[in-house]
Amino acid sequence: MNKDQFEVFLEDALKRVSKAPADDTAAAERVLKRLSGPLPRQKMPLWRLPNVLLDWQFAPAWPRVAALACCAMLGFAVGIAGLDRQLVYSDPAYVAGGGGLGTIIFEPDPLTGARP
Amino acid sequence: MDDSDEALMARVARGDERAFRELAGRHLPPMLGLARRILGNAADAEDVAQEAMLRVWTYAPRWRPLARFRTWLTRVVVNLCIDRKRRAPWVELEAAGEIIDPAPHAGAKAERDERDRMVAAGIAQLPARQRAAIMLTYGDGMSNSQVAEILDTSVSAVETLLVRGKQNLRRTLGRLIDEDR
Repeated sequence: MNKDQFEVFLEDALKRVSKAPADDTAAAERVLKRLSGPLPRQKMPLWRLPNVLLDWQFAPAWPRVAALACCAMLGFAVGIAGLDRQLVYSDPAYVAGGGGLGTIIFEPDPLTGARP
Repeated sequence: MDDSDEALMARVARGDERAFRELAGRHLPPMLGLARRILGNAADAEDVAQEAMLRVWTYAPRWRPLARFRTWLTRVVVNLCIDRKRRAPWVELEAAGEIIDPAPHAGAKAERDERDRMVAAGIAQLPARQRAAIMLTYGDGMSNSQVAEILDTSVSAVETLLVRGKQNLRRTLGRLIDEDR
């Protein structure tokens, strides 16, 4: 086989070898059977996201909104009062009276400057 | 009811499983054949075809009819074949000529089949993109522009793939034919 004959052979052989085979119905049935189970969740297009975010129809979920509002109020109250402060310190009379135990013990005398 | 591929895809995008099954039944056999020719392995071809169909279902809401559905699906299958990590062992063509054929020119046919097996083995050794380009061009009779659309590349790149693929085949087959003499 010379070079020209080889080129002709190669073109013909590529067509024969690459030719689409007859449909394998058995294999197709197998794959279809595998696909007959539950299908995965579809991926929504990204351009639908703003619509989801802009959906302000809260009417069906008002209990959740009420719960959220209660949580917000509770959070606000805790944030103002603080959890690390004892209730005794929140007494206005106590605060106006000059402070706590530390000031009694360690406050220097206003005249002599002597410390206890 | 419009049962074109694009209409079915629109229904699939709305979650219509029946439309999906109809679409799968329509396109699965040719896609299986294409995957099998590129991978050279029936089991892997089934896996690829299944994965491609699941992607059709999963990404249907995001699909936009910028190209024909068949072209898009072919691209998915070819990309899955190329991305296949494991290099699938090539399944040889059916052995021919083991039984003596009394027909005239039987010897010539057996010789041709043997050379075709050599070509198939040579194609199996090609890089995946060259193999895909040859299969789509010679097997499905696609134009270079169609192949470029499926492989997501330029027409000149497809021409390069074909030229290099045939160069590799000439190198391999030339050696084999010389050994055959």
